[in-house]
Amino acid sequence: MKISRKLMVIVVLTIFEVSLVLFTLFEILLGAKLHQLNAAHLRYTVAFSEQVRDIQANNTIDLGALRRTIYNIRYQPTECLRQVGDIEIFIMRRIETYNAIELCKKDIVDANNGLTIIDLYDDNKIDRESFLEQLSILSNTFKQNSIDFELPTSKTVEFIFKLMVPIVIVVSIFIIIFIIYLSRNITTSINNVISLLSEAKSDKALDETISDNVTGELRELLIVAKARVKEELVKTEINQQLETLVERRTASLTKANQELSEFAYRLSHDLKSPLSSSKGLARFIVQDIDDNHLPEARENSQKIVLQMEKLERLIRSVLTLTRDKPQTEEVAEVNFDELFDLVRKENNELLIESNCQFSHEVDIQHPLKTGVRSLALIFGHLISNAAKYSNPDKMCRSVKIEVKEWDSGYHIDVIDNGIGIPENRLPEVFLMFKRFHPNISFGSGLGLATVKKYVGYLNGSIEFNTSDEGTTFTIILPKEDVV
Amino acid sequence: MNALIIDDSEIDRYILSRQLKQIGITSIIEKDDGLAGLNYLGGEEFVDEVPKEGFPPSIIFLDINMPQVDGFEFLEQFKSLREKNRLDSCIVMMYSSSERQEDRDKAYSYDFVRDFIIKGESSANDIADKLSGIH
Repeated sequence: MKISRKLMVIVVLTIFEVSLVLFTLFEILLGAKLHQLNAAHLRYTVAFSEQVRDIQANNTIDLGALRRTIYNIRYQPTECLRQVGDIEIFIMRRIETYNAIELCKKDIVDANNGLTIIDLYDDNKIDRESFLEQLSILSNTFKQNSIDFELPTSKTVEFIFKLMVPIVIVVSIFIIIFIIYLSRNITTSINNVISLLSEAKSDKALDETISDNVTGELRELLIVAKARVKEELVKTEINQQLETLVERRTASLTKANQELSEFAYRLSHDLKSPLSSSKGLARFIVQDIDDNHLPEARENSQKIVLQMEKLERLIRSVLTLTRDKPQTEEVAEVNFDELFDLVRKENNELLIESNCQFSHEVDIQHPLKTGVRSLALIFGHLISNAAKYSNPDKMCRSVKIEVKEWDSGYHIDVIDNGIGIPENRLPEVFLMFKRFHPNISFGSGLGLATVKKYVGYLNGSIEFNTSDEGTTFTIILPKEDVV
Repeated sequence: MNALIIDDSEIDRYILSRQLKQIGITSIIEKDDGLAGLNYLGGEEFVDEVPKEGFPPSIIFLDINMPQVDGFEFLEQFKSLREKNRLDSCIVMMYSSSERQEDRDKAYSYDFVRDFIIKGESSANDIADKLSGIH
């Protein structure tokens, strides 16, 4: 049964109980009222008989007073009939005390007869003797009516008292027990649900557990509560995700900001260095000219030219590195022969100077489609690095580009047998303004940072392997490349 | 007075050593990196051989940005090296183009760093004044 229905039963039973008690009380009060009415009836009857006796003794007749007394007597049974309802009449008929009602009616008739006698005497239709005689008979009749009324009334009241009080007690006990049972029942089902949910039953889903073990409103409550909790959880999760996202973005912005400030510092340093040097050299040149040391002045002028060239190179490298992703760069099939010719031509001087052999090998089934200009720039930097950092102790200095097609993408290896990168500096390889070889440091320190950036533009990845036997950079470009 | 110049820029070494010569310091050793400087002063490969000419230096001119061991790393290692190899009379003057205050503060946190010369801004006479102020 639903909990609401059980509660409704409790309410109905309580209303019934209260009604029963009220009804019993009302009946007992009614009995008292009837006794009161009968007492008043008897009192007026005594007054009436005294009036009759006064008339006999004094000869003066106050018809008005007689009439008033009879009205008062008649009022009592009238009131009695008015008070008694259908239920009482039904009970009286059952326990055979209905003559009390008939007595009331008879008393009213008797009183009306008395009034008729007084009217007749008033109209001189009867003589004084018979008038007085009839009045005394009437007085006795009233008295007898009062006496006769007492017994059935008491009997009725007694009956109601004896019947209703035990009923009220029994019904009350029954109702209390039943209400206790129902509330226990409600508490038990709530407790069952609590213990059911407290136990971790991992083998069954919560929905299943609920539908198997809970019914009625509790089930509805659980289903609604579950949906609500789920909604809250989803909200919390979304909020957490947002927070994490914001944190991550903030961290990456902070990092970008730090990188930018480091970049500005390094750049200003590297731009300023050749200028300060040139300034110092220029001062010496002035001194040397004054002292007529012309060869040294000439040498220092040459140095200034080299510094200016260095500055130009640096600015060019910075522009290449900081240039945004070339949006308009067209993706085309790479013609490796043309590409390698171009790279060789650009680095020819450097390769000859360091006596470094450049070779290449391409083994692919499908043409590579990618940003050709970016790829040329990447190859250019790697080849010039290989030439700059070639090993002077080796007879054959070489750099080789191998292009292979794998299922996972195009693998491009740039292999040199140069001096390698110092082991303790490996994490800094792709960072900006990093140079690892002081004696060969005519580079800007931006080359590999630029390479990494442009590999990123081509959606590729770059790794390297290095030892004092040489360095191999491996670039992997995706097969379906989109620039 | 022996001077040691540690700087990766050949031209800056040339400029400074010429300025030093102008003010009468002729015993000058040049190293192109912090690592080479540490090795010279007897870092990991220190061997207790007979000191060469110009050793130990009484003043080191130290650049900050260098490829292998930069100026700050040099200072950190030189701190312990000073005690170990009895170089406590040796002081350091920074010689850099950095004008960053934090670089200056970081350098001055070592008590043997006595001055901070910004490249291109000090003439030979300025350097002489600074040196006479120290000794």
